[in-house]
This record gives sequence, structure tokens and C-alpha cells, in this order.
Amino acid sequence: MFRNRNWFGRNVLKPKNVHSLDHLKHLYTVLSKNQNVSESNRGLLVETLRSIAEILIWGDQNDSSVFDFFLEKNMLSFFLKILKQKCGSYVCVQLLQTLNILFENIRNETSLYYLLSNNHVNSIIVHKFDFSDEEVMAYYISFLKTLSLKLNCHTVHFFYNEHTNDFPLYTEAIKFFNHSETMVRIAVRTLTLNVYRVDDKSMLQFIRDKTAAPYFSNLVWFIGNHVLELDTCVHNDMNQLSGRTRLSDLVAEHLDHLHYLNDIVCLNIEDLNVVLIEHLLNKLLIPLYIMSLLPAKNFLNSVQKEKQISISASLSLFLLSQVFIIINERHLVQPLANILLKGSPAALKKQENSSSTSSPSFVCKNLKNSEEVTDEPSDNSLASFLQNRNVVFNSESVDQVNHLVDSSAFSLNITDEEKEQRLAQDIIVKSGSFLEAIFVHLRCKENDYSVLFSLCLLYAIHSNDGIEKSSLKAFLSPGGSDSEIKYNVSFIENLIQIISVGCQQGCRVRLVTLELAIELLKKLVLIDSKSILLDEHFAAIIGTKEESTSLLRTFYKNEDIFLDTFEDEYYDIKKRPLKVAWLMMDSNLLLQPTNTPMTGVEFSKRLPCGEVERVRRAIRVFLLIRDLVLTLSEERESQLPLTDRTTCIPVGTSLDLNNSDLITCTVLSKDGSKTRRFLAMDQNQLILVEPHSRLLGWGITRMAGFLQDIEVTGDKGESNCLHVKIHHTNTGSAFSAKFLFDDHIRCMAAKQKLVKGRLKARKEKMVQIAKLLDIPVGKQATVTPYNMLSARHQSASSVLYGSCYKTPISVSKTLAKVGSSIKYQYVSDTLSDSNKNTPSTSCESSPKMNRLSQVEELQLFNIPAGGLTSVTRDSLQNETSQVQIAESSCSNFSGIEADLGESQINGDDSAGNVKTV
Amino acid sequence: MSYAYLFKYIIIGDTGVGKSCLLLQFTDKRFQPVHDLTIGVEFGARMITIDQKQIKLQIWDTAGQEAFRSITRSYYRGAAGALLVYDITRRDTFNHLTTWLEDARQHSNSNMVIMLIGNKSDLEAKREVKREEGEAFAREHNLIFMETSAKTAANVEDAFINTAKEIYEKIQEGVFDINNEANGIKIGPQISPTNPNLPAGNSRPQSGSCC
Repeated sequence: MFRNRNWFGRNVLKPKNVHSLDHLKHLYTVLSKNQNVSESNRGLLVETLRSIAEILIWGDQNDSSVFDFFLEKNMLSFFLKILKQKCGSYVCVQLLQTLNILFENIRNETSLYYLLSNNHVNSIIVHKFDFSDEEVMAYYISFLKTLSLKLNCHTVHFFYNEHTNDFPLYTEAIKFFNHSETMVRIAVRTLTLNVYRVDDKSMLQFIRDKTAAPYFSNLVWFIGNHVLELDTCVHNDMNQLSGRTRLSDLVAEHLDHLHYLNDIVCLNIEDLNVVLIEHLLNKLLIPLYIMSLLPAKNFLNSVQKEKQISISASLSLFLLSQVFIIINERHLVQPLANILLKGSPAALKKQENSSSTSSPSFVCKNLKNSEEVTDEPSDNSLASFLQNRNVVFNSESVDQVNHLVDSSAFSLNITDEEKEQRLAQDIIVKSGSFLEAIFVHLRCKENDYSVLFSLCLLYAIHSNDGIEKSSLKAFLSPGGSDSEIKYNVSFIENLIQIISVGCQQGCRVRLVTLELAIELLKKLVLIDSKSILLDEHFAAIIGTKEESTSLLRTFYKNEDIFLDTFEDEYYDIKKRPLKVAWLMMDSNLLLQPTNTPMTGVEFSKRLPCGEVERVRRAIRVFLLIRDLVLTLSEERESQLPLTDRTTCIPVGTSLDLNNSDLITCTVLSKDGSKTRRFLAMDQNQLILVEPHSRLLGWGITRMAGFLQDIEVTGDKGESNCLHVKIHHTNTGSAFSAKFLFDDHIRCMAAKQKLVKGRLKARKEKMVQIAKLLDIPVGKQATVTPYNMLSARHQSASSVLYGSCYKTPISVSKTLAKVGSSIKYQYVSDTLSDSNKNTPSTSCESSPKMNRLSQVEELQLFNIPAGGLTSVTRDSLQNETSQVQIAESSCSNFSGIEADLGESQINGDDSAGNVKTV
Repeated sequence: MSYAYLFKYIIIGDTGVGKSCLLLQFTDKRFQPVHDLTIGVEFGARMITIDQKQIKLQIWDTAGQEAFRSITRSYYRGAAGALLVYDITRRDTFNHLTTWLEDARQHSNSNMVIMLIGNKSDLEAKREVKREEGEAFAREHNLIFMETSAKTAANVEDAFINTAKEIYEKIQEGVFDINNEANGIKIGPQISPTNPNLPAGNSRPQSGSCC
């Protein structure tokens, strides 16, 4: 930075050794001669200050007399004098950097104490630098941060003066807590944390009494502002890239805030925590987050009057999940959970009236009283309020069930009487309206946007270590006092409904939502890995399994890509289990669910696009639900994975190859190496061996891979040569090489063996899948299973895509297509057979239903709520072309890839409009 | 002191690998490399020139703050470049690279340029990590790689400047959203062509702007 300057140009007395006491003495002379900063000596001063840093550190590490001299001459006072002259950023910056270097590098504690002892450092801290200069600001805040890293029980008294109640290091720093520069803000936060962790009673007392209230309330206000900005951002047009980066920044910022708050509460300073938690709860979490859960109109007006500011309920669910994921401090999360699970706006309101605390704009409640709040559910207004709510819900839910995908969704065999009982029970169990407000979001309307957040929140509350498990009783977790109700029935039914809807073709439940619902269900109904699920609910789950199985059956094809996709999806699920903490870090979730991969949203977090992805989805759903059913019935998976990759013969294994067919070959690998090997095959693996050094007829495995993954191609030029590719081998990586055989005949023999081996292996896997899907083995090669259900699904998907803008003519075209595929229909018999065993009789698979009326019904549910008008002519055309692709590719799985590209492009063009559907 | 862009860097790696020394060596390179002096600093800034443009580098060391999750998280997010440093004389510092990298990738914005640095290349006799190993790690994880010595100043200049070049290229390609300061990139103050401060930089006037 200060290069190319001949720094002793004007000084003849320069000592030879730069690292010596003499040199420091010389620098002292320079300083004392240049106490007035002027245009002419600026450069000299800067160089002198820089050299002082260097020589002091050298002295600290090598020669104590250097430091003694520095202190003796009180050279720090020169620093202060220079500063006071408004010397300009050039000198300022070097001065600060010299101090930085000094405090950063001094190892000798006594030297440090001496440096700090004469209050000069505090004077420098309070000096009014020109903070508008970004460089000065950065060096200044780094200086403060460096000092804070030196704080401990001994040094803190140099900074904090008990008698004058003065702590400039801290009070000056927190002035910048909301500085526009990220790095400055981070430095301030670091400093505050470094201060808090010093265990000094009187200092902490000072922090709490003099600064905590204003600092924390500012902090909380600042977070609140961010959240409001986030809310605006979510509602803005998110098709712009800049909007999306802004969104992800704001989400990351919110996480930063929460982590910071968590870092503070984790320091376990009780006095501080009380103040911080009170501010957080009463100024932010309750008035802004929790109150926003309530729909604006339906709720008590008196409460709403005071609550002028709010955010959208789904955002509030999202943010609250983050809170419960990150913060585990009992005193914060317990009251919060109590309010969410048992509280109601009425109770909060009442609490507020009785407490004397005044708050400018938000509903305010005393922290210590929060426990009491939850203990008064028998409030009159609450009871009547709840009843009203329930009425609303009932009419709504009927609506919604019809509204959602195929109406078969969820129908348990419950009599009206039972229903009434349930309802009464619900009112008792759901003693809180906030919980109700969360549950409302569990019911998918046009999509699963807020369903996911609501699941996340409940999941996060349930997994939070800071919350007493007993307070979750009767709401989320099993073990209520009544022996018959072991869990919250309506909640579990809600979960099952989400799962059930998620199993269906063309539904708008994303995989991630489905997976989370499954995870939550497992958490709630498994006690010591035993299921406490009631029979009727378990039966409903079995029903969803049938549903998912029959859906996958419609995609079952004896083609390479199906098998590969199936195995890939299996390993993908195993490799990446759902992590709710990571899920809630993804700002993409705040965008409306989309189906185009071009948004960069991962597959599981969006809807499938095109046939290939619909197959992938069907496979995943099948696997997830299969796993759920096995877990609930305490069974072990015996049929998956199709290929146990761990059974691949490891490198170095000795094998008895007497009586095995061996073919000699030379393996030419990509890097040019040549090795002589014997090619052997067992039932499903290809093995390359070299002869055992001692045992005759034995070989040592050098490479092994599964036959099903092998790609063999001949070589046009050389007739005794094969190109072999294997995707998974025992070495972990893919293998690709050229095999050179002794002659053409041996080459042909090897090729034949490999190709046959591959075919056989794949056939076996397909039989395995067929078994999983209850497809009669032996027929699957010739007949593609098809049934009424699938026919309807196909028409469902086209209608969905073409949506209701299609003219009656195109609908009848779809019908004709359905008719043409009736020849596959035999399977539907087996299907309905299996359905008889379960109480869940899905109306879709009922053969009695008139086909035409089915289509009509499909159209009904697909009519978007008020979305029709926004469709432009262009998008209509795109939609239609998409449908054609879908139709043409329905029966031809292998032809998909080419078409897919096109449909994606179309999909993106019309993305904006599709969303409204 | 005007600049076209300001890039914010962070330096990460185990303690004792020489992060703060690298930083000081780069920002204030007149500090004499002598064997009996270890000296470093946590923050520094310096102007460099790329493509005839003045670019200011601000480098923040994250040392001593690992105890707080919120701090490391925020640092990663606010930076456009990161120097991931290990000590070639200590195998364990190399072994921990994966953890550092995972952290960095998880918290940073996806465009952050990461340079892998094997420091203390002057201590050839004590070397525990071969140059090839560093190269292989960098290749595997798609990083730029360099061995440096804060002591002899070997490659220190290049390490910081090459990282800046990479960031600059990304800006030219339009990968970085430069209007978003959260990325660790800032556009310099807009100056009219007549402004005398414009040709500043290497021939910086003796007087800075006054307080």
C-alpha cells in the first residue's frame, strides 16, 4: 500500500540494524521532531509508525529493552497527539494498523498490560474518526475487534471502568451494529460476543443495566425490519433474477440474526438472557411472527387493531421454523411453543391488559407471565371463538377435499356419529387457536406452498431439545391422558391426507412435502420403534401404498432406462436423507412451487416436468411409502436394494476358479497402461483376475463390476477387441477400458457372454421390480400393465397440462386415446381385488363410474381459482404443444428424452402463467 | 483513492498456518522477512491493478472467531474470495481442508472464488505435504492452487492477485451480481472523467482526503 517510498531519504542518522533498540530510539527522535502533522512530513510519519510496529513486535519476541523504552518515553501519547490534529486518512489508517499489529502480535502479557494501563487506548477508541471514509472505518472496527479478542478477566478492567461506569470499547462498537457494510456489522457482533463471554460480574452488570435494553431493542427492531422487507420481497415478482438473489440474501440474513441471537443465549449469561429473550418474544416473535399466523379478517378485531404490521402467514411459518431449528434455549423456545400450541389471541390480549408493561405498537406481554397465559384455556371468549373457527373449518375442508387433485384422496369409513364425537374431541384437544392456525395450512389448497412450512414448523417444535416433551402432549406427541386417544387424531389424519394426495398422479404436492409428512408421522406414532397408529389409520396408509404402487405400475416398462432410474432414485434417497435444518435454509421454497427445472430448484422441491420426471417421482413416492409401511409394521426391507452393491467382490479377494470359464485378455486402460488379465463371470458380476501366486487354479480379484451395468461394444477396426464400460465397480469409480483378446473367436465368445449376462441380470432385476409392484411375473415382458386408473391418470395429466382451456374437441381426443388403450385393461381386476382388503376404497379405481363423468369431474377440479383470465394466447399455444408431446410420449418411454428438451423450453416460456393455474 | 471495484476476501484455515502473516505480507509487504520475526495482522487493504482497472482488495482474517457459529457463517457470505490456507509442514492442517471447504461451500455464495494455499514453502526440509498432493486436492475440488511463503514473500503477491483476476473474470462473464453488495463486491464511487482523483492508484497523492 505504501510502496516505493524512500523512507529514510531525509534522515542521515539511520542506524544500520533495523531491528534494534537504537533504531527505536531513532524513530522516537523522528516522532518528537515531527509532532505537528503537515503536508511535508506525512510520508515520514507513516513510515515511522509502520517501523515502530515492526520493531516493537521484534522486541517483544527478542529483546525486552525495546518495549521498556517505548513505555518509558510514553510513545503512545504521540499517537494520540497525531490523531487529534485531524491528520487525514492516510496517517490515521497507518496509525490504526500499527495499533492492530501491536495488539495482535504481542505475546508478553506484562507488555500488554503496560500498553493498556495509561488509558491512551480508550482515548483512541473514543476519538472521532472520519467514519465516512470506508477505509478508516474498516481499520477502526478491526482495531476494536482485535482488542476484544484480548479481553479476559484481567484485561477487561483496562477497558471497563467500574467507578465511572464507562466501557468505551463496547459502547463505541455497538453504535455500528447496523452499519451498511456487512464486514463492519460482523466485526461488531464478534466484539459483542467476545465481551459477553468475559466472566466479570460488574462488567456484565453494566452491560445489562446500561446497554442491554437499547441494544437488544435496536437489534430486534432491525430484525423486524428485515423480515418486513423479506415479506415485500416474497410478494414481488420473483421472475427476476435480481429479485431472487435479494430474497436469498434476506433469508440468509435472517438466519444470521438467529445464529447470532443463539450464540448470545448459548453463553448462558442469565441477566443478559432475560432482557434479550423478553425483547425477542414481546417485540418480535409474538407480535410480528405469531400474530401474523392469524388470517387478518377472521380474528378478534380488538387484537388486530393494535397489530398494524404483519407478514404473510406462510412466511411467518417459515421464519418460526427457523427459530425452532436454530435456537434451543429453554427460556425462549418453551414460552414460544406454549403460545403456539396452547395460546390464543384472546388469551394474549387478556394478558396484555392485566400487565402494566406498555409497548408502542405491538401487543406486549410480560415474559414471566407467559407460563400463566397457557394455563387459562377455559376463557369464555376463547371457547366461543374456537367453536366459530371449527364451523369455518368444516365447510372449508369439504371444499378443499373436492378442490384437491383426485377426490378419492382420503375417505375413512367413519359414521356420522363418530364424526361428531371426533369434532367434540377436537375442540377439547385443540385448546389453542394458534395451533389451529398452523393446522389450517396443512390443508393443501391450490398447492402445497404453506403445507410444507407448516409441517416444518411442527417438525421443528417436536424436535427442539429446549421444549419439555410433556408440553407437547395431546397436541403433537402420543401419550395423552385418555388411553384411547394416543395422538392428535385430526392432525394425524391431516398428515395421512397429505401423504394420500401426494401419491397421486398430477397432484401438486412436492416430494419434499410428502417426505416431510412421512417423517413427521413416523416421529409421532412410533414409540420405541413400535407403531401406535390406530387400525383405521394404518389401513389408510396401506391404501396410499396401493395407490403409489398402482401409479408406478403404469410406468413400468421393460426398458433399460426404467431399471436405471429406479436404482438411481433408490440410492439418491438413501444418500440424501431429508434434513429439515438445511431445508429451511433454502430461500427457493418461498417462491411459488414450480415445475420447470430451469429455475435451478432441485427436483424434490418442485413438481415434475415431463414424462421422465413423472416416472422419477412415481418411483420416489413408491419407495418413500414402502419404507413408511415397513417401518410402521416393524418389518425389515428384504427386497431392496435390487442390487446390493456391497456384495461386489472386493479387490484382492482370492477366488477358486477351477471349473470356471476363463478368457485371457489384455486390458488397455485410458491412461495407456496394459495389463494381462483373466476374464471370469459369476452370476451377476464380471471379474478380472490375475493368477494366484501359490494356489493353482485360483485367482486374485483385480476388478469386479455388476453385469447389469456393463456396456459392451465391438471395435470396427479390430475384430479381436471390445470396449467395456462399467458404471459401478468395486473400486468405487466407473471403469472404462479396451479388452484385447487373443483372437476373433475368443472376442466373440466374450462379447456374447457379457451381453447375455447383462440381459439376464437386468431381466432378473425387472422381475424383482415386478414383484415389488405386484405385477404377475412372466407376463410383464409382453403386456404393459394398464388399467382404468392409469388411463384416467393419463387423461388427468393431459387435462392438467392443457388445463381447462382445451376445447371440447381436444377433450374427446383424449377420450379416444383412453379408449385405445383399453386392451391393457386386465390388470384392473387384480387391482380392485387388492383394494377390497383395505377400507380405503378409492373411487377412481371403481369400474362402475361413467368414464365421461370422470373427465368432467377432472375438469372441475382443475379449474384454477380465478386464474383463467391471466392466460395469454401465446401461453395457450405453448400449453397445447406441451400436451401433444405428453400424448405422443405417453406410450413410448424411450422417445422421451428428445421431446423433453422442447417441452422444457415451452414450459419456461409459459412459466409465469402456468403458475396461476 | 478511487477504485473500479472493491473485493472482499476472507482467509480461512487451521490456526498457526500463517494466515495473518500472509495478509500482512500482502498488504504491507515492506515488513522485513526475517527468520526471528513472526508478525501478522487481522485486516488489511491494498490496491492492485487488473486490466488497467484499479481494484481494491479488503482482506479479513477470521482467526479466533471459530467459537461463534454466527460469525463464521456471516463472514463466508460476505466475501467474494477466500484463501484456504494449510501449512505444508503439518499434515493435519492439510487433512482438515475438507472440513473447511465444506463449511465454505455451505455458507458462501456459490460464486465465491476459493484459492488453496500451501504456506511455508520456505521450510522445504520440514515438508510433510507434497506439492502434488495440494495440486491433486485443488484439482479434485476445482480450486486454484499455489504454494507460498509469507516469510520469503514467494508467490504471496500472485496468490492474492490471481484470486482477484478470477473474480474479475467472473464479473466480466456476468456471473456475479455486482449490484448486490452481499456478494463481497462493491463498485467504486462513480466519478466524472474530469475528477482529478481518477488517475490515482499507484501514484497516489501524499495527502488522503482530509478528515
